[in-house]
Amino acid sequence: MPRATSYHRPTTIEGAVTLLAAQDHMALAGGTILNADDDPTPVAMVDLQGLGLTDMESGADRIRLGAMVTLDNLKSDDRVPDSVRDAARAELPSTLRTLATVGGTVAVGDPDSVLLAALLVHAAEVHVAGPDGTGGAPLANVLRSNGPCHGHLITAVSLTTGGTTVCESVGRTPADTPIVSATGRYLDGVTTVALTGVASTPVLIDPGDPTSGLEPLGDFRGSADYRLHLASVLTDRILASLKDAS
Amino acid sequence: MEVSIRLNGNNQTFECEVHDTLLTLLRREGMASVRFGSTSGETGAAAILIDGKLASSDVVLAAQADEHEVTTLESLNTERGLHPLQDAFTATGAMQSGYSVGAMILGTLALLAHDPDPSEADIRDMLSGILDRETAYVKPVAAIRRAAALMRGDDVEAFEPLMLEPMTDGVNAVEVTEDDPPPNAPPAVPRVVTSPDVPEMEVVGRPEVKVDAVRLVKGNPAFTADFEMRDLLHAKVLRSPHAHARIVSIDDSAARSLPGVHAVIHHGNTARVKYASGGQSYPNPKPHDQVSFDDVVRHVGDRVAAVAAETPEIAAEACRLIEVTYEILPAVFDELETRLDGAPIIHPEEDTIDIVDREHNVVHRMHAHRGDVEVALNNADHVYEQTFRVHQVQQCPIEPHISVAWLDSDERLVVRTATQVPFHTRRMLAPLIDMEVKDIRVIKPRIGGGFGAKQEMLIEDIAAHLAIATHRPVQLELTREEEFFASRTRHPQTITYRTGVDSDGTLVAQDMTLVGNTGPYGAHGLTVQIVTGLRGLTSYNCDNKQFNCDVVYTNIPVPGAYRGYGAPQALFALESHMEDIADDLGIDPIGFRRQNWVKVGDEMNIAPHLGEGGASDEELDEYPVVESNGIEECVAQGMRAISWHRRSDPDWRAPADRPHIRRGLGFAFCMHGTAIPFLDMGGASIKLNDDGSFNLLVGATDLGTGADTVLAQIAAEVLGVRLEDIIIYSSDTDMTPFDTGAYASSTTYISGTAVQKASRVVATRLRERAAMLLGVDAPESIQLRDRSAWTPDGRSVTLEEVALDSLHINEQEQIMGTASHVSPDSPPPFAAQFVETEVDIQTGQVTVISMVMAVDCGVTINPITASGQVEGGMLQALGYAHCEEIVLDDDGKMVNPAFGPYRIYTADEMPHTEVFLVQTMEATGPFGAKAVAEIPKDGVAPALRNAIANATGTRIYDLPFTPERVHRALNNV
Repeated sequence: MPRATSYHRPTTIEGAVTLLAAQDHMALAGGTILNADDDPTPVAMVDLQGLGLTDMESGADRIRLGAMVTLDNLKSDDRVPDSVRDAARAELPSTLRTLATVGGTVAVGDPDSVLLAALLVHAAEVHVAGPDGTGGAPLANVLRSNGPCHGHLITAVSLTTGGTTVCESVGRTPADTPIVSATGRYLDGVTTVALTGVASTPVLIDPGDPTSGLEPLGDFRGSADYRLHLASVLTDRILASLKDAS
Repeated sequence: MEVSIRLNGNNQTFECEVHDTLLTLLRREGMASVRFGSTSGETGAAAILIDGKLASSDVVLAAQADEHEVTTLESLNTERGLHPLQDAFTATGAMQSGYSVGAMILGTLALLAHDPDPSEADIRDMLSGILDRETAYVKPVAAIRRAAALMRGDDVEAFEPLMLEPMTDGVNAVEVTEDDPPPNAPPAVPRVVTSPDVPEMEVVGRPEVKVDAVRLVKGNPAFTADFEMRDLLHAKVLRSPHAHARIVSIDDSAARSLPGVHAVIHHGNTARVKYASGGQSYPNPKPHDQVSFDDVVRHVGDRVAAVAAETPEIAAEACRLIEVTYEILPAVFDELETRLDGAPIIHPEEDTIDIVDREHNVVHRMHAHRGDVEVALNNADHVYEQTFRVHQVQQCPIEPHISVAWLDSDERLVVRTATQVPFHTRRMLAPLIDMEVKDIRVIKPRIGGGFGAKQEMLIEDIAAHLAIATHRPVQLELTREEEFFASRTRHPQTITYRTGVDSDGTLVAQDMTLVGNTGPYGAHGLTVQIVTGLRGLTSYNCDNKQFNCDVVYTNIPVPGAYRGYGAPQALFALESHMEDIADDLGIDPIGFRRQNWVKVGDEMNIAPHLGEGGASDEELDEYPVVESNGIEECVAQGMRAISWHRRSDPDWRAPADRPHIRRGLGFAFCMHGTAIPFLDMGGASIKLNDDGSFNLLVGATDLGTGADTVLAQIAAEVLGVRLEDIIIYSSDTDMTPFDTGAYASSTTYISGTAVQKASRVVATRLRERAAMLLGVDAPESIQLRDRSAWTPDGRSVTLEEVALDSLHINEQEQIMGTASHVSPDSPPPFAAQFVETEVDIQTGQVTVISMVMAVDCGVTINPITASGQVEGGMLQALGYAHCEEIVLDDDGKMVNPAFGPYRIYTADEMPHTEVFLVQTMEATGPFGAKAVAEIPKDGVAPALRNAIANATGTRIYDLPFTPERVHRALNNV
């Protein structure tokens, strides 16, 4: 049951940043997480739909995604790398994909997010606005910090395009949120691999030593040891696939 | 606040609260097609179009929709007839309960707007957000293809079954080779295998459109929540956070003081009346171990208190304000541990009686046998013993439990409720609220799926208590989380088989030991475990059989009835066990079963000893005999469809280009029952109208199965009219005859026979009146067909003329008939279940590629609804086998009470699904029909398990086949 006590729809970044500076104000990107949360703590909703952050701008080897681009738009736009489109499609079913946004996905930092893994291997940068101005940081750093700082607003995510990408995953059923997934990208002699399901957020790993430093938390879908096993197996598979492709 | 929305093409302004979801606003504005399934957007039942895109309105604030265009299904309802999209869903039978069909149609509208000829992948992707527990998405995919064609202006053919010639003579096996090509038709098309024993009929056997299709595809008010009530209050239940605790004190003063709260009830202010909640015939099996509100809670989610308030939000807040002091007691969850000395006693209270061994939590202990199993085991050439563990799952109807109760103008209590058992509910409710049965009326509207979960008097007493306390209508609707851990589930069990086999493959002894976990309350504990024994010991001929069973209390969420009712557990163990015996003996697995399975004329020698009232050992003079059995034809059709010959092809089983993949095919022999003999009873009443149409009143409960359609088809066949001439109404305890309800695969067989009998009463009188009009001396010579009564010499009078004459002109009378039926028989349907799978031997991931089920359900009354039953049943069975499980933490709290982590199959991941309906003539059934509703639940788990064994050589003994469990088995961990 939504816990909204007030609703705001700012039309400027500055207005949104000002609202989000208040302690009980939260950004409402798509609503698939916040509106589904049954935590009764009151929240003032700051709906970002009025900010116009829905554009995609593509360049020679980069594309910039407005934070309010929905996963459905991401899936459908052929300027977006196939791996990211596929991940956007796999992230959520049809009725939620039209609501959930790129910015919201980054802010939540779901450890099982295959979209975040795809963004990671595409060297995504997160652009934010805050009381102290605008800035950017690698997605990996943002995830490590558990999202943007309080009062800051994700305005866009940019990523590099090109290269060859492969994704392997293991779930209970074909469309299940993977227990562990591995997304790999080969570009200009460099292989990048990101895993889901092995840490508190999706992570980039060392392809030569995929489980190094990982201490996954197990749950009923997969124990810690099993997740580490999958990390090794799936990384091996994508490395083999990328080797074949290259 | 105020929001402006362009709703279905009209600019409108609405007042709403900040926290209102768009779902709340739309339902308040009368958009009945937008339905509640969860608050997480996961079910898609509340999906609508926002700016032309499909979106779950339960996770959208109404405020977010301000200045947007919102489209609901009602936008298509501009005329009395159907929009082409609605017509496509109707023609293909792409709905059962129809609870979410509106969302599917809207999704189709959006999909076709972008692509007039979508691929199947795109169709399935669109459906991925709309969970359907009933159709397995097979017929919805066909409907969307048809809708696309209609919208393009293409010609479409009538959606009809594919009629197939039998491959066998019905008795003897045939060899099926790779040279036998399977029939070529879309999966949604039911394959009907004809039989010379089954005559062609006018209405029975035809793919008639569901009689409730219009109201469902148009999203018209149909379900419990759809009917508006003035001054409606909303109820919420405070539930236990502890698996086992004594309530030391409850302080409800703050809750009562909250503005908008009208009543707070708990054990301190409600009467302590013992009952058992299982919706079963009188007398309900003992022990009666529940009360509306107790001073002890026995599972996480157990009732503590309930509140009625002006809004659901106020009721929820009031629940949070109730201060409860608990004395936490030790808890036990495992069915084997609970019997040990020192385990916590779940029911020490003195007023719960008839517990067999209270100190060891054994509520029932049962034994039955034929012959001498121990002697037979000692003398057998081979003895095999295996133990299997089956887990706890939830029925997951997309419509949660919901009841609305109020006092009518005569101050009788009326309860409109989503129940499979309206008559049982009325009887069971009466003592709890200190009213007489005659002062209670229970109305069952359409139900958004039940699958056994609603064969329970689960929440009606709470709504009734609050309605009586407040003198206001009160609605209680469970949340999705409550549906998972506070409604009902399937019983976990530990099953051990000891089987004696002679060297020639003949079974000589079957010993089944069962420990069934009934959680904290008996509910259906006795009867489900009995059915496990019945189903686990009836499929095969064997002179020596034995059943020993303990039903035990624990502190898990309460198990109850779930489609299959103990059979899926039994057949997982039995058919896995039989597979392994065949493998160890080096015998063909189907051949081994064929050698032993029951055939026409065989006695079901232990069945009467495992009846509804419990196990018994008393020798009987007569034992039931199998009268019809189409299993050989089922096996042949299934083997051909699944290409069974690949099973022994090493190149297919280990594909060279995918070194970590192994493929396998699995089989399971399924045998179920049809109704409960001497117990299940249904009534029917029919009356003739002025225009020659008929009102048919039945107490039978269509919960989406198509029962109303099938029953109307039976009446139409007898009366010689079209299906649309039968107006069926079900069910209302004030209006319709008694019926035990929708369970035990009984409706077509029992209620259908009642309808057939009542129709014959009417038909007899119609012939007599027609004979009067036609001057014929022998009424029995008159035939009813084409809405007329015909003499042998070709003269006729229409039924309208008969009606007008009898109602208005000569010797006026109301032509009507009533009848009821109870059966001494329970003819078994049979089925062959096949599964194709791939196993990743490095990760343990199992991918199901194909499911084929060929079912002998007697004569199929309606091939579309029957095949839909099988498709949906297999979907649920696949979830049981593969991914679904209720997971509790160490304190007994469910850790995955949402569809994402619980995981039910979605449209975009379904394996190929194919259904064959093998016709046989069952002499005891209406027009030859047997049951079809539950047998699809029985075979998938063992067939998948056996396919995994075929693929990898690894045997697995517990469910579900999740990746880590399979990985551990593959590596002998």
